Amino acid sequence: MSELTVKSGQGGARTRELVAAGIGKRYRAERRFRIFGLVAIVSALVFMALLFASIIGKGYTAFVQTEIRLPISYDVAVIDPEGVRDAAEMRRANYGKLYRDGIQSLFPEVEGRTDRRLLNGLVSSGATFEIRDAVIDSPDLIGKKGEIWVPAADDVDMLVKGRIDRNEPENTRRVSDKEIAWVDALQKDGRLETRFNWRFFTQGDSREPELAGIWGAVAGSFLTMLVTLLLSFPLGVATAVYLEEFAPKNRWTDIIEVNINNLAAIPSIVFGLLGLAVFLQFFGLPRSAPLVGGLVLTLMTLPTIIIAARVSLKSVPPSIREAALGLGASKMQMVTNDVLPLAMPGILTGTIIGMGRALGETAPLLMIGMVAFIVDIPHGFTDPATALPVQIYIWADSAERAFVERTSAAIMVLLAFLIVMNAAAVILRSRFERRW
Amino acid sequence: MENSHVRDAMHTPTETEGSAAAMGAKIQAQGTNVHYGDKHALKDVTLDIRAGEVTSFIGPSGCGKSTFLRCLNRMNDTIDGCRVSGTVMMDGEDIYDPKIDVVQLRARVGMVFQKPNPFPKSIYDNIAYGPRIHGLAANKDELDEMVVTSLEKAGLLAEVKDRMDSPGTGLSGGQQQRLCIARAIAINPEVILMDEPCSALDPIATAKIEELIDELRENYTIVIVTHSMQQAARVSQRTAFFHLGELIEVGDTEQIFTNPRHKLTQGYITGRFG
Amino acid sequence: MPFSFLLLVLAGLAVISYRFGTARARAVAPGRQSQLHSRPMYHGLYAAMWCGVPALLIATLWVAFQPLLVKGLVMGGLPDAYQALPEARLNLVWNDIRNLAIGDVVRAQPAPEIQAAADTFHRLYAIGNSALALLCLVLAIAGASFALRRVSLTLRARNQVEKVITVFLIASSMVAILTTVGIVLSLLFESLRFFTKVPPLEFLFGLHWSPQTALRADQVGSSGSFGAVPLFTGTLLISLIAMCVAVPVGLMSAIYMSEYAHRKFRAIAKPMLEILAGIPTVVYGFFAALTVAPFIRRFGEGMGLSVASESALAAGLVMGVMIIPFVSSISDDVINAVPQAMRDGAYALGATKSETIRNVIVPAALPGIVGGVLLAVSRAIGETMIVVMAAGLAANLTFNPLDAVTTVTVQIVTLLTGDQEFDSAKTLAAFALGLVLFCVTLALNVFALHVVRKYREQYE
Repeated sequence: MSELTVKSGQGGARTRELVAAGIGKRYRAERRFRIFGLVAIVSALVFMALLFASIIGKGYTAFVQTEIRLPISYDVAVIDPEGVRDAAEMRRANYGKLYRDGIQSLFPEVEGRTDRRLLNGLVSSGATFEIRDAVIDSPDLIGKKGEIWVPAADDVDMLVKGRIDRNEPENTRRVSDKEIAWVDALQKDGRLETRFNWRFFTQGDSREPELAGIWGAVAGSFLTMLVTLLLSFPLGVATAVYLEEFAPKNRWTDIIEVNINNLAAIPSIVFGLLGLAVFLQFFGLPRSAPLVGGLVLTLMTLPTIIIAARVSLKSVPPSIREAALGLGASKMQMVTNDVLPLAMPGILTGTIIGMGRALGETAPLLMIGMVAFIVDIPHGFTDPATALPVQIYIWADSAERAFVERTSAAIMVLLAFLIVMNAAAVILRSRFERRW
Repeated sequence: MENSHVRDAMHTPTETEGSAAAMGAKIQAQGTNVHYGDKHALKDVTLDIRAGEVTSFIGPSGCGKSTFLRCLNRMNDTIDGCRVSGTVMMDGEDIYDPKIDVVQLRARVGMVFQKPNPFPKSIYDNIAYGPRIHGLAANKDELDEMVVTSLEKAGLLAEVKDRMDSPGTGLSGGQQQRLCIARAIAINPEVILMDEPCSALDPIATAKIEELIDELRENYTIVIVTHSMQQAARVSQRTAFFHLGELIEVGDTEQIFTNPRHKLTQGYITGRFG
Repeated sequence: MPFSFLLLVLAGLAVISYRFGTARARAVAPGRQSQLHSRPMYHGLYAAMWCGVPALLIATLWVAFQPLLVKGLVMGGLPDAYQALPEARLNLVWNDIRNLAIGDVVRAQPAPEIQAAADTFHRLYAIGNSALALLCLVLAIAGASFALRRVSLTLRARNQVEKVITVFLIASSMVAILTTVGIVLSLLFESLRFFTKVPPLEFLFGLHWSPQTALRADQVGSSGSFGAVPLFTGTLLISLIAMCVAVPVGLMSAIYMSEYAHRKFRAIAKPMLEILAGIPTVVYGFFAALTVAPFIRRFGEGMGLSVASESALAAGLVMGVMIIPFVSSISDDVINAVPQAMRDGAYALGATKSETIRNVIVPAALPGIVGGVLLAVSRAIGETMIVVMAAGLAANLTFNPLDAVTTVTVQIVTLLTGDQEFDSAKTLAAFALGLVLFCVTLALNVFALHVVRKYREQYE
């Protein structure tokens, strides 16, 4: 007995020695590995933080806009020379002259065509519309004098927001010394302020950054999403119900299944090509229309919804089905009255997630012409429109410095929508999650 | 009624303790408790495991025998929410002492599982895994020798020596289990724990493993959990009977099977419950 | 009558039919409802279906095919001089007519024939829309009255309704098939037309890409060259860079999350990582173009390297970050599928956690991880917005990550945005590129899904 113990003790002692000798190195490797893992996660999160920080840092200033208070004399001779007070006539009047006269009157010392043009350039050409709208709203202004806040040009806006460096040498700077002096003078007089940028939320696109807004894109996105939702939800649920509850298990349904899984992984731009070739070229539907955008995004979103709905249907326990059938319900009644309501929270969650993805999708919309420059707010499904992510793409491509902040601000709006949608999905899931 | 039995039982094992220590106990558990979350899975177990012997743990499923086995090489550490209290001494050192390194401990206490779990590697690499990570072999020749010796000891060498490079998962169930035993003895441990090593095997493979256990007893202290009383009777020198997380009775195998002191043990042995 | 209004009217009619249907069913069996074969609700649904479905079908078909019909009529009515024009020019004429009719772009002086055609266009649409509205209303009312007349004790309304619903369910599941068929057919047709202009071998193996074709045949450089190899290498380069970021980071994050992280850490970090997957690609593109690319350029110049302002590195890097959550969630699934017994086996031999992971878990999970990485590669290849915004248009045949390269998707977008005629080799080339993209991603997906499935079966 004791001999045996010694034998195993000896072997054990050698093992023990060797193991102990190597242990330090192994634990160092362990620590390194662990740190690699942590570094991986932290670097991904840091990247995300940088992304958000950079976008917020670039974009928060877009929510305010520099405006200039101009003295305007609403000259009858300019607005309504015939004195008929006809709104259509008055719309065509030369309001540009009024705001130019206004800014000139503040700096009477400025002489010469070049300098005057420079001075006029401080004010956005959008001032024309501000004055026009003011006159159309209250025609009794005509013939009187008044003060009105109008948007400043984008370079002035950038200067005031500190996006243009005053210390840069004049020849490389977007704004000349003269202009800076004028801006400072206006600021000292209290004629120049940054105010909340309501235009950004109420206007359509514009070539002038200070006039460009996201409302057109938001409306376009809304119409597109509406089409997508109205088509993809019923189609997706119907497909899932068919495959899960009714379809016989045969070759044909196998093909449908494999097909749906593959569709989910096809690059979105291919759906754009499909939309271009089929909806635009073959069926001749209008370009740039939310209807077509919605159709394309429907095809793209369908697999997501179908897959989510099937998972949700699958999780309804068979006992519920058996109970319903046992009470004499038809299969269809069982599905519509018993199974679908129980699966609905899961289906809705999947739908919201799919819609969120569709809302952020850009590439297929470029293919069907939603990338056009569209100023008007779309009102119908066939009006030319753009969508929020496409608007971001268009602005990101624009040269003007001031579009950078608009782009970032539009991204913030888009992300806000997505956060709301995802939060809704999370809440839905946690509120109605059922464990069988 | 049941309670009074249990109370009695708690004193029974300690009676044998003195003699066990004298016999050269390899492992001594003293008042060991295990909790899984709120569940009290092992209650105050005190037990000695003697060197150079096969000790078997028997009892109905869920009685805590596997839980106790996993305490002996601290495999319970890998389970979330598992707490172990009391002491488990091995060669006079508490293995739950914070100073004790679990890697070093497991190099001394090998384990074989219920279901054969060869790694998805070649037969050779399966055996060489332990020596490699612990740095036991100085060179390739030494490693080769270790692999061959381990396979030899596990009685598997003849069957696999021509296909050392084929995957270990391609062997039959019994061969896989012997491969796992060979893998465990390749690092030359002092104790081998076996958790129902034959429950997934057919009778012929089981017989081979049992034979192997008997041979291994020469060099290793072996603890085996089994749900088969016949197996316990065949392979072990000492037997411990667990019930509902408590150690009811421990003694020489012959005594436990022929003359159990406790009613519960008797009931289990005679097949009245299980 | 605008189409959406027509739909509303139809919906209203259907609701009214439903009401009448249920009311009639009740009237047929006053006080002995149990004798009705189907509950009144089904009679209502039956009536509503007869009212709505035929009209809706006709309306959909009409709207889908009206443009084709109108185009045929209008173009057929043009003078012979126009009919003789080549197809490409004819399409331009058609665009003019349509724009004129819709009032989109007002040309200074449209030719009288064009103006006349535009008027015809307008008139046809007006006639078509009113005819459609009338037809739909007639169909709806006729259908509803037919159904209401049939309401009786024995009408098997429920069975009829269920039959229609079943047909709808089957038809819905066909949409997925039709989509695939549509994709394949449209890509194939346009690509075949492209290959009549440019031989496939030249397209697939040509080393020079410059798709600028002139409008007139006699212009300089009228024949662009369509060797797509630089696009393929560019796509590969950017995907490779992306994978170099995504695979190690994604895999290590998944390992850390599932093997090391404290439960509380995981509860916070995991959803945070998933946010990365939810950010629209256009946002990544903006970040890559405006923040990452200039940073890399400055950094590279600081080290004395010449870096293109639209370097492959910037686009690839950002794309890699986008794919991290994808890789990590697949790896997470795959790693969790490795049986606990494997881990136990390694731990029982005294392996440390990292040894267990590196020597046992990762090799065991390798097929699954490879499948996941292949899926990620197919994502990277098909990703569009990041490269459109951050990679350039220069079709350089290079593997230097600091150079500008272009990709398949970038070229598809550039070829198809902006105004150009539909039939030029330039636009058709986009479809050929699309076909290549489709085939490659499909092959990758099918293969990867197969690998992953086989892997799962192994451990089930």
